Amino acid sequence: MAVIGPAAISRPVPRPDVPEKIGGSVPYIGDIRFPGMLYARTLRSSVPRARIAAIEIPSMPEGYFVVDKHDVPGKNGVHMLTDEQPFFAEDKVNYVGEPILLVAGPDREEIDRILKKIRVEYEEVPPVFCEEDSGNPDVPPLFGKHDLFCEYEIKRGTVEAEFEKAALIFEDEYRTGAQEHVYIEPQGMAGVFDGERVTVYGSMQCPYYVKTALVQGLGWEEDMIRVVQTTTGGAFGGKEEYPSLIAGHVAFAAIKTGRPVLLVFDRAEDVYSTTKRHPSRIRIRTTVDGNGAITAMDIDVALDGGAYVGLSPVVLQRAMFAATGVYRIPCVRVKGRVFATNSVPAGAFRGFGAPQAFFAVEMHMHSLAEKLKKDPLEFKRSYMLGRGDPTVTDGKIKETVPLPRMLDRLCALSGYDSKSRTFKKEGSSRGIGVSLFFHGCAFTGSGEKDKIKAKVLLKKQGDGSVSILVSSVEMGQGAQTTLRKIVAQTLGFDIGRVRYENPDTDRVPDSGPTVASRTVMIVGGLLARAAGRLKERMDETGEVEIEERYVQPPHIEWDQETFRGDAYPVYSWGANAVEVEVDPVTFEVSVTGVWGVYDVGTPIDERIVGGQIEGGISQGLGYATVEVLQQQKGRLLQKNLTDYIIPSSKEFPDPVYELYSSPYEYGPFGAKCAGELPFVGVAPALAAAVQNATGRPVRRLPVSPEYLFEAANDED
Amino acid sequence: MKIEFTLNNKPETVDTDPMRRLLDVLRDDFGLSGVKEGCGEGECGACSVLVNGEIVFSCITPVGTVEGCTILTIEGYRKTDRYRTLEKALEEAGGVQCGFCTPGFVLAAEALLRRNPHPSEDEIREGLSGNLCRCTGYSGIVEGIRAVAEREGLWAT
Amino acid sequence: MGNMTDAYRPGSLEEAYRVRARTGAVPLAGGTDLMVRHRRPAGLVPDPGCPVLLIGHLESLARVEEGPDAVRIGACATYTSLLKHESVPEILKRCIGLLASPPIRNRGTLGGNICNSSPAGDTLPVLYALDCSLVLASTRGERVLPIDRFITGPGKNTLADDEIVKEIVVPKNSFSSQYYRKVGTRRANALSKISFAGLFSKESGRVRDIRIAIGAVAPTIVRSREIEGSLKGMPIAMLKKTAGAVAARYKPLIRPISDQRSTERYREGVSLRLLEQYLTTGIEQEE
Repeated sequence: MAVIGPAAISRPVPRPDVPEKIGGSVPYIGDIRFPGMLYARTLRSSVPRARIAAIEIPSMPEGYFVVDKHDVPGKNGVHMLTDEQPFFAEDKVNYVGEPILLVAGPDREEIDRILKKIRVEYEEVPPVFCEEDSGNPDVPPLFGKHDLFCEYEIKRGTVEAEFEKAALIFEDEYRTGAQEHVYIEPQGMAGVFDGERVTVYGSMQCPYYVKTALVQGLGWEEDMIRVVQTTTGGAFGGKEEYPSLIAGHVAFAAIKTGRPVLLVFDRAEDVYSTTKRHPSRIRIRTTVDGNGAITAMDIDVALDGGAYVGLSPVVLQRAMFAATGVYRIPCVRVKGRVFATNSVPAGAFRGFGAPQAFFAVEMHMHSLAEKLKKDPLEFKRSYMLGRGDPTVTDGKIKETVPLPRMLDRLCALSGYDSKSRTFKKEGSSRGIGVSLFFHGCAFTGSGEKDKIKAKVLLKKQGDGSVSILVSSVEMGQGAQTTLRKIVAQTLGFDIGRVRYENPDTDRVPDSGPTVASRTVMIVGGLLARAAGRLKERMDETGEVEIEERYVQPPHIEWDQETFRGDAYPVYSWGANAVEVEVDPVTFEVSVTGVWGVYDVGTPIDERIVGGQIEGGISQGLGYATVEVLQQQKGRLLQKNLTDYIIPSSKEFPDPVYELYSSPYEYGPFGAKCAGELPFVGVAPALAAAVQNATGRPVRRLPVSPEYLFEAANDED
Repeated sequence: MKIEFTLNNKPETVDTDPMRRLLDVLRDDFGLSGVKEGCGEGECGACSVLVNGEIVFSCITPVGTVEGCTILTIEGYRKTDRYRTLEKALEEAGGVQCGFCTPGFVLAAEALLRRNPHPSEDEIREGLSGNLCRCTGYSGIVEGIRAVAEREGLWAT
Repeated sequence: MGNMTDAYRPGSLEEAYRVRARTGAVPLAGGTDLMVRHRRPAGLVPDPGCPVLLIGHLESLARVEEGPDAVRIGACATYTSLLKHESVPEILKRCIGLLASPPIRNRGTLGGNICNSSPAGDTLPVLYALDCSLVLASTRGERVLPIDRFITGPGKNTLADDEIVKEIVVPKNSFSSQYYRKVGTRRANALSKISFAGLFSKESGRVRDIRIAIGAVAPTIVRSREIEGSLKGMPIAMLKKTAGAVAARYKPLIRPISDQRSTERYREGVSLRLLEQYLTTGIEQEE
């Protein structure tokens, strides 16, 4: 392994986790066999909304068990922001796929036979499927009185006044669909009970979220519960909150049966019953004065949260905080709500509300420019935020915003200007589009300070090696490399001397969840500080342990009650260009070029950041084109990988990208956030390219051939 | 039914239901956990193995159909020089992130290169089109194989 | 363990016929359709609900033989082997090249695609356009049936309980152009939303022969010998000029559904557009 030179943190190093992955020797949860282990499978609701009138369970052969609501020792509620989602359905079900019980036993054929014999008697209740269903007197509310999980409003100035005097009001509505993560490793967990303590192993992003949920579900003391992450085959947010539910399942099963219990999802089961990206409907009304300048934006954000609250309030917040995009809008009102429906709960997914918001505002600015007969890119440029400008929450952009130079680079790389002109002249079916975007780094608002309160430990061992003790997980994004590099570089020695294993809550403190693109910036930042302190003490013999706790940088002012102030400590910035050709006969969209310029501060490893960019772009292009996920009466139409399409190796060309680095003072070596940013901007760039190619507004994701066909026909 | 085949260079016999998935026979009877289940429907390629040198999805291959065949899994392949070349190239190109799809891609690359030691980029992407990756966007994987394809070496005929 | 599947691995074709006659066991070559259709969760044995007859190993079913008038393709020749065989018509190779993915092509067969009889079966429009016949064999002997008489509806065909599809007979012909277009759910490894096969030959500026087959837009493959017949002898220039009217004649035959892959309106509208495009530019597209 290479020694990292002082100014070379960005230089790629071999990833320590890779050799055993390539050769197939590292075990994932589905590869682990515990002695005496039982398999488990879940019986799930087959209807979207019902009271469970009765469950007929056949007599169970010796060694086979049903595990259900009766076997929850503590509270039958999965702790996330609220506790209302039960581990096992109590007396009602609220979505197709909701877990009702597990069958556990030694032989999978027998489990299958038992499951087929179990009869659930449902008394169906009229379900809520869309926002309009609420208020229907025949449909009992699903949540509260109005089927709203949460509702917020933020404003700066008085939009009504602007509407009075506007020379032009431009209004449009944008919709985005659900999306499934399709981590190639399906969800899986195992529970082991030794008579005293329970240990849960599995594929997860947040060992301490899981532990907290188990403490509540078991009603036990914290030190009786241990959570161990196993090598995780992709997550993207889909293993942020969902694993807490199945951790409970395997824990309860292990206790009831007295044996280790392994629960690994079938892919179809994973597609139809686990969390999805929130579908959105966003309406934007913009007022323009006599000089063609924007005076106000009135934005209404509605997200479909599915059947349970989950993380919806935080997703909504991030969507609202991104609602005006990278633009300086003098007067703003953003109203947002998440409504409840009897469909699979929506949850975390790379971008976490921002992709939906950026799609809407980018398409809006594009279309508004067209309406004002201005070039969309020049129009957007004239509103770009700069240092000192107010954010939508009335905070201040504290750093220099590199967008103008990034946009210049993007145009140079992509040939945007000349292509734009050529494509327009040709009257061709080709188009090129640009998007501008940011990602607020780490937790929204005061989350890091008030909720997570991250703590890291750095331990010098007797043999001179240094151990990183954090709860952050490696899920492919390179944490095991980047965090080691930060420590090694600070201490000035070989990365091979830094140890970092899959987190085990018996050994590591809670440094927070592996989400929100916070791992390098926040956890890495704490490790850099710890390493700085450890450096002074490296000469001491024996073990030395350094603890470092999160301290909010002084420049952040935030009021969580009113959502006013600095929603994020810093932003990473991005610009994408996408070139397409739309087949005039079939309306299929071919992507012929993708470019990106990103400012993630100092990249801790250029190859790892590059991997996030390449993967994020692929996922984002999938979100924009082929990843159609539709629901009909609470049932997903695309329920397996044959029908839910993610990009293949032949789908898109390699992206061309550059990093533009404006280092962040409070990030390790100047790093900001990188994991989600590359996903956020690419769908709006593609949609803009299609809009340019077809001459018709694109208001929907995915931009499917079917959607374009209908749009073309509506016109005729 | 008795079914005989060569597995990772060793002759083996199983006496089992011929409709069992080859994937389950390899994982459960032979402990070869490098062969993964990602979808069970022949879409993701995490279960890829070589049968008579051709890439197949073991999750939809009945074991009864591999009578007399030569089967190679990642466990057998990783002992070879070709593997070591691919391993290094993939690592350097950033073609491995979470790793779950990777053994499948390695075998797909082997199947491609043994037929076509110097494939074009299009041919590489075509050869990998049965394998899904969600982490890398394929760029690093294609680049790694392209790097191998451009050199003279172990696949040259 | 669960119940062992009744499965047979005959040593010869004759033995295969005998077992099929005796047990009604469903023939399985590559299994790429059957193993997905009858899949069960991890670790469990797929269950077709009846005995299984493994025939993919029988060499006599995997041969490709070219005669003076026709190419006879063994029903169990894998797609990959067909791609390598010089006697396989270009349009069929093009279709196979876009079918599924390399691992599927290494095991899948024409026999399987035909017997699956799916309205969206990738090879079917091409086999219809080529006027293929099937040799259906049993202990009772052989009979030959044109493919459009074999497939009768979605997943339905006239294979008798004791028969096996032995060969696909592809009449030899020369065409000035062979055209295949698949509108899939993605660029590779995709199911068809619409698939289109066109074969055309001309003589002295007029249509000598034209065959059009469209898949995934009706319960069975759409082909009309009546419409094709009415185009024979037509000056090509006139065909191109009246392409819209010709396409409109196919409209009543196109009866698609909306499903998880696409919509009825898209399939209907775009298949007619593809047809019109074929009649204006596709017929004279160079290989």
